[in-house]
Amino acid sequence: MANDILLKIEGLRASVEDKEILKGVDLTIRKGEIHAVMGPNGAGKSTLSAVLAGKPQFTVTAGTIEFLGQDLLAMSPEERAWAGVFLSFQYPVEIPGVTITNFMKTAVNAHRTGKGLEPLKAGDFLKFMREKMAFVQMKPEFAKREVNVGFSGGEKKRNEIFQMAMLDPTLAILDETDSGLDVDALRIVANGVNALHTPEKAAIVITHYQRLLDYIVPDVVHVLKDGKIVKTAGRELVAEIEEKGYDNL
Amino acid sequence: MTDVIIVPDGQLVRNLEVNAGQKTDMVLLIMPGVSCDVRLDVRLTGEGAEANIYGAYICGGNEKVNIAVDMHHDVPYCNSRQLFKGIAGGASKVDFYGKIIVAKDAQRTEAYQENHNILLSDEAKVDTKPQLEIYADDVKCSHGATIGRLNEEEQFYMRSRGISLEDAKVLQMISFIAPVLENIQDETQRDAASSEFESQIRNIIRNI
Repeated sequence: MANDILLKIEGLRASVEDKEILKGVDLTIRKGEIHAVMGPNGAGKSTLSAVLAGKPQFTVTAGTIEFLGQDLLAMSPEERAWAGVFLSFQYPVEIPGVTITNFMKTAVNAHRTGKGLEPLKAGDFLKFMREKMAFVQMKPEFAKREVNVGFSGGEKKRNEIFQMAMLDPTLAILDETDSGLDVDALRIVANGVNALHTPEKAAIVITHYQRLLDYIVPDVVHVLKDGKIVKTAGRELVAEIEEKGYDNL
Repeated sequence: MTDVIIVPDGQLVRNLEVNAGQKTDMVLLIMPGVSCDVRLDVRLTGEGAEANIYGAYICGGNEKVNIAVDMHHDVPYCNSRQLFKGIAGGASKVDFYGKIIVAKDAQRTEAYQENHNILLSDEAKVDTKPQLEIYADDVKCSHGATIGRLNEEEQFYMRSRGISLEDAKVLQMISFIAPVLENIQDETQRDAASSEFESQIRNIIRNI
């Protein structure tokens, strides 16, 4: 059914500083699906996530991206966020001087304004934030910390999933969320992602390794190599990659 | 109490002498549209004297802002701290000159000075000259100066969370200036300064 389609990428080519990274990517994601994008280093996995989120340094030279029927490429990064796209960063950015509370209040209220809603009252916002922090086992004192400043690898990734829980996106893109995580943090992050998933939403899990996919089980697995999707199959492909490596696909 | 000075157009000269055991706190605020020539001469003349001088400036047009501070440590056991932070946009020009002079007898001096700047345009200019002149040998002194631009990685991170580019820049600039404003002890005065800076920053961003 065509109206099940959440994201449709066709013939996507993208460059950074005149170097072509994505060389014609096609990808269709339906509501309720979790897709894994796997591939060796330098295949273009992070570029794909950056282009979906609208990072200005990347230039799309050909192709289209439709998100819930809208032309995603015509939208600014913030408009994409309002429409329901969320990127969990591989390397979350430190923002000195801006507390998590202030950061999230600005973000949540920007989303609400975008939907024609009033900003949340201070008390309601704090209650909402505390709930979501508990959800990823972040200590309450993090509310006053500067965004990602001095956070460990695990704390940064939990902070990403906390933000995802606050913003409740329709499409979550997890870029190498497993990198730098010990097994406990991995479980917390994966449980968070699974709990937020519904039949109306979708997720793209970008990873080099099988590890995260033991916890977040994909419906469809793609292999991205040299800027193109070279293979698409069900979750059984994960084990095949683990066994044979990317070179022999 | 902190002495908060909203610097007017023109020249502002202050010669301060801080005596034994006394403390002076000053916050200078330079708003958009103000062209000024600030000359501060602070002299620590008695043991245990302390001077803390802070300054914030925001320029978005054709302002010329000159700030010159001479901090004299004449006697031992005195502390001074200077922190100046500013944003230069439009075709504004900022000159910062700051000198810490530690006399030969002024042992156990602690003196720090920092000047940090953000440039918003190619036409804006910042010239910063921090200097140390130390004649004593048992002191802790440091100075630092930076000139940078708003970080685009931070901006993209914020935008990916739905924060508009304008709001992202406002957050960046307010958090940049905040370490100066937080030295205003009186809460009412501090909040008034913060909201005035926020609305002035927003104006400047809209006019870029």
